Amino acid sequence: MTIRKILIIVPALIIVFLLQSYFWVPTYEQQSRGNPDRLNEYITASIGDASLLNPILSADSASSEINNLVYEGLIDYNEDLRFRGRLARSWKIYEEAFFYINDNASVPSMGKVGPEQIIELLLKAKKRIPPSNPQEKASLENIEEIVLLPAKEFVITRLEKEGKTPGQPKEITIRVTAPPRIKLVLKEVDQFLFQSLSRILGEDYFRTFNGEKYVRITPEIDPVKRSKVVQEALPPTEHNPVIIFQLRPDVKFHDGHPFDAYDVKFTYEAIMNPKNLSPRLSDYEPVKEVTVVDPLTVRIIYKRLYSPALGTWAMGILPEHLLNDEALKKEAIQSGKDPDKFSMRQSRFNRHPIGCGPFVFKEWKSDQYILLERYDQYWEGPPHYSRFYYRIIPDPLTQEMEFYAGTADAYAVRPHQVERLKQDPTYQSFSGLSFGYSYIGYNMRREPFNDPRVRRALGMAIDVDKIIEYVLFGQGERITGPFVKQTDYYNKYIQPLPYDPQGALKLLEEAGWRRNPEGWLEKNGKRLQFTLITNSGNELRKAILTVAQDAWKQIGIDVRTDILEWAVFIQERVNKLDFDALILGWSMGIEPDLYQLWHSSQTNPYQLNFVGFKNEAADDLIIKIRQEYDHDQQVAYCHRLHEIIAKEQPYTFLYVSKWTAVLDKRIVVKETDAEGKVIYKKITPTKTGNYMFYFNRWIKLPETPLFSGEG
Amino acid sequence: MLSFIARNSIQKVITLFFVSVISFLVIHLAPGEPSQVDPLNPKFTPEMVERFRQQFHLDQPLTIQYAYFYRDLFTGKTVSWKDNQPVLKKVWERFKNSLWLFVVGTLLTWTLSFPIGIRSAIFRGGPYDRSATFFSYLLISIPGFFFAYVLIIIVVTTLHVPVIDMETFGLGSPPWYRWVMDRIWHLLLPSLLGATGGIAVLSRYVRSQMMEVESQDYVRTARAKGVPEEQVHYKHALRNALLPFVTMFGLILPGLIGGSVIIESIFAWPGMGRMAYEAILARDYPIVLTVNFISAVLVLVGTFISDVLYMVVDPRIRL
Repeated sequence: MTIRKILIIVPALIIVFLLQSYFWVPTYEQQSRGNPDRLNEYITASIGDASLLNPILSADSASSEINNLVYEGLIDYNEDLRFRGRLARSWKIYEEAFFYINDNASVPSMGKVGPEQIIELLLKAKKRIPPSNPQEKASLENIEEIVLLPAKEFVITRLEKEGKTPGQPKEITIRVTAPPRIKLVLKEVDQFLFQSLSRILGEDYFRTFNGEKYVRITPEIDPVKRSKVVQEALPPTEHNPVIIFQLRPDVKFHDGHPFDAYDVKFTYEAIMNPKNLSPRLSDYEPVKEVTVVDPLTVRIIYKRLYSPALGTWAMGILPEHLLNDEALKKEAIQSGKDPDKFSMRQSRFNRHPIGCGPFVFKEWKSDQYILLERYDQYWEGPPHYSRFYYRIIPDPLTQEMEFYAGTADAYAVRPHQVERLKQDPTYQSFSGLSFGYSYIGYNMRREPFNDPRVRRALGMAIDVDKIIEYVLFGQGERITGPFVKQTDYYNKYIQPLPYDPQGALKLLEEAGWRRNPEGWLEKNGKRLQFTLITNSGNELRKAILTVAQDAWKQIGIDVRTDILEWAVFIQERVNKLDFDALILGWSMGIEPDLYQLWHSSQTNPYQLNFVGFKNEAADDLIIKIRQEYDHDQQVAYCHRLHEIIAKEQPYTFLYVSKWTAVLDKRIVVKETDAEGKVIYKKITPTKTGNYMFYFNRWIKLPETPLFSGEG
Repeated sequence: MLSFIARNSIQKVITLFFVSVISFLVIHLAPGEPSQVDPLNPKFTPEMVERFRQQFHLDQPLTIQYAYFYRDLFTGKTVSWKDNQPVLKKVWERFKNSLWLFVVGTLLTWTLSFPIGIRSAIFRGGPYDRSATFFSYLLISIPGFFFAYVLIIIVVTTLHVPVIDMETFGLGSPPWYRWVMDRIWHLLLPSLLGATGGIAVLSRYVRSQMMEVESQDYVRTARAKGVPEEQVHYKHALRNALLPFVTMFGLILPGLIGGSVIIESIFAWPGMGRMAYEAILARDYPIVLTVNFISAVLVLVGTFISDVLYMVVDPRIRL
């Protein structure tokens, strides 16, 4: 019967046809034999796709990974996490400081004096026998030049919003008749300059300067706002740190256009352009102006002391000739869009980036891969790999499978997967500390967390080492404070809290909490009771939640727990400061600027110091760290700040997790020695744990090489 | 007939309107913000978040946002918030990728279920029928993602060939037949997985339909007349049992979009389901709403086609 035959033969044929395709697919071993080019390709697997390949617009990690290969910044971090020049050959940081002549104040033993006498006084002080105060001595020696700026008049117009009510901002005119001003050029940035000078000019010299009388504002505005405007227009003292970058000559963008100082200026302007909605705007807000001195020299002047500023220039530089107003207008017209509304965000450049980094962008298939090719004219010498594939594989298990099948050279390997692969002779594995930590934060506005003894006791009751061992499979380390552990800002002498439930009970007793007959801790008839919350979707945090709850219950604390969806967690609880204790993590940059997280001014709703940590000494240090440009001095401040935070325990600092990586052993570092002989070396991570640091010298060999000293 | 089509279309347009309103509301009333407006990124000042919201019209009342969105959709101007790409272009690209999975999966489902189901019905109660029943229920109850993982692990660790994605990576530029075969190999597992559930369910349907028809009087009459057994099964019974399946054909249309979120994510297949899923995670409303709208249209078109088909194959039906 034909129908019956058809019903059986058709599916059988389809299945046979589908199955036979197996014989055409190469296995792991056949891949590099069948296609020797495969050895020159590096394929890495990522969970998520990039969004915008434009360093000033993107904020996600996938995009920045690609951007780092396509674009080049002026500087970056070297093996020791210190800055080194990239597009900038060298740089110099100095300071220009200003202050207005205060005709109200009287200078000690001289009375009221004019600008000329002030200059004379300073020059004399400089030449005099060094003063006993070392800070004053350093400040004076640091002054290179003193210039008198004559009095001048200027007019500022700006838009001012009225009160908090929305509505049209109104234009105000500020007429300033500024008194003479003194400009000091310093060899190095000195945040204590004016403190030192006030020892010479009198304690009150800068403080009593009153700008009000030099300013006329039309129309009148309310006095509070007025004094703010005056403060801005006529600041008594001003620090203007200056960075001068010497750029590398003969560097070209991938399209052959030479790179120069105008590109740097353009990149800065693009970030500041409100039309572009750059998420990096706040990094560059302290910049006063960027000037091109000559095509290979840029001068950047800052409005105020802001030491994290240098690090911001690690950002990729955009090619001006492709993105300036003219180019964008042309593109808008070509694609039939309104040129007035068209911004860099809409440009096709974001999907076809051009920079001057080691790899040239070739192709991007959304949710499939991004392909880069080696840039042969890269200024530091081209990388060894000729192609770089960034594959998007959303599932961690299938990433591992692709790795086994040889169609991915690297992937985000999980701790338990590393355990499996460690024994395998085919692979080499790496691990290192990541830049971030997990913590339990306490709402210090609430009882009982306003008592540091209670916070300490809570920390002591949790066995963090066990958490690391069982929850993280050993892939973590304890951390005691808010700095990146592998930098020298981190104070290594601070010991983590010991696991000591008895000691915790003693501390709680000191704080007035005693066990009642039922075993619960009580104070004035009230039970020690609170809710610990975290967000859903993070298994590690969920596990910690249970561990902490159990540990605290054992010493008699009645802990409730709650797991909330991320958006609810952030918007309803964290932002509105409605929580007792929570488990969260921070990922950090290398810069030790803790202003947003720990300064007392950041404790309001929707700000990041949501635990409400307020400590005067800490505030002072946070500001000093922000303003200090000298690395060693900064380290000293950081160590003190770390101590304070560790003593106060606003968080129970839990751990910093380790990242892990696995590579085929055939991937090695290829170098040429002085005689032109090629040598292969094993990939070794840098001191700070970055194994990708020498990526440009990696290559894959057909066979696993034997290294000397290794059998 | 014409009046039916007209009446039906009007009904469907009204339904579509309500679907568009409800899906719009569901998305916008759910907590969370588009990932580009991530409020916990310390680098984002409140003013910037505000500006983003303005750019996306998020500061407007919902009714206005609704009008903006559908105006853009119908003029083809919607762009994804994530990467500023035109939504329709993205959807079309993904649709082409999903189409292959859908075609092979449907082919497997529809060609395999019939022989399996028919045999079960003919030899009902026998060992074949029992084991077919067992496996059907096993495949229906086994979670798709779990089954996918098991299959992937077995294939990769025993055969050492890649199975993820649409093609083998790093293949260079092979001759065209190798390229085609490679693609087919990569289609095999995901489409098979997509088909398993369908095969299990559909073969059950076929079995019960066949059994119902076989117990009809005219089948008994045919047997009594001495018609050969095979002819009874395949000519008399099967033809009549096929009727309900004709209508199911229209209903598989929406599967073009919705059916493959999990499989596509596991296999890193750049299809529609995965795009929609990732858009939901990133709160990329234009993509989510467009996909939603298109699938609503497909469901309505599918039911319409079913109705019409039924009328065509079964002259007893009058609409």
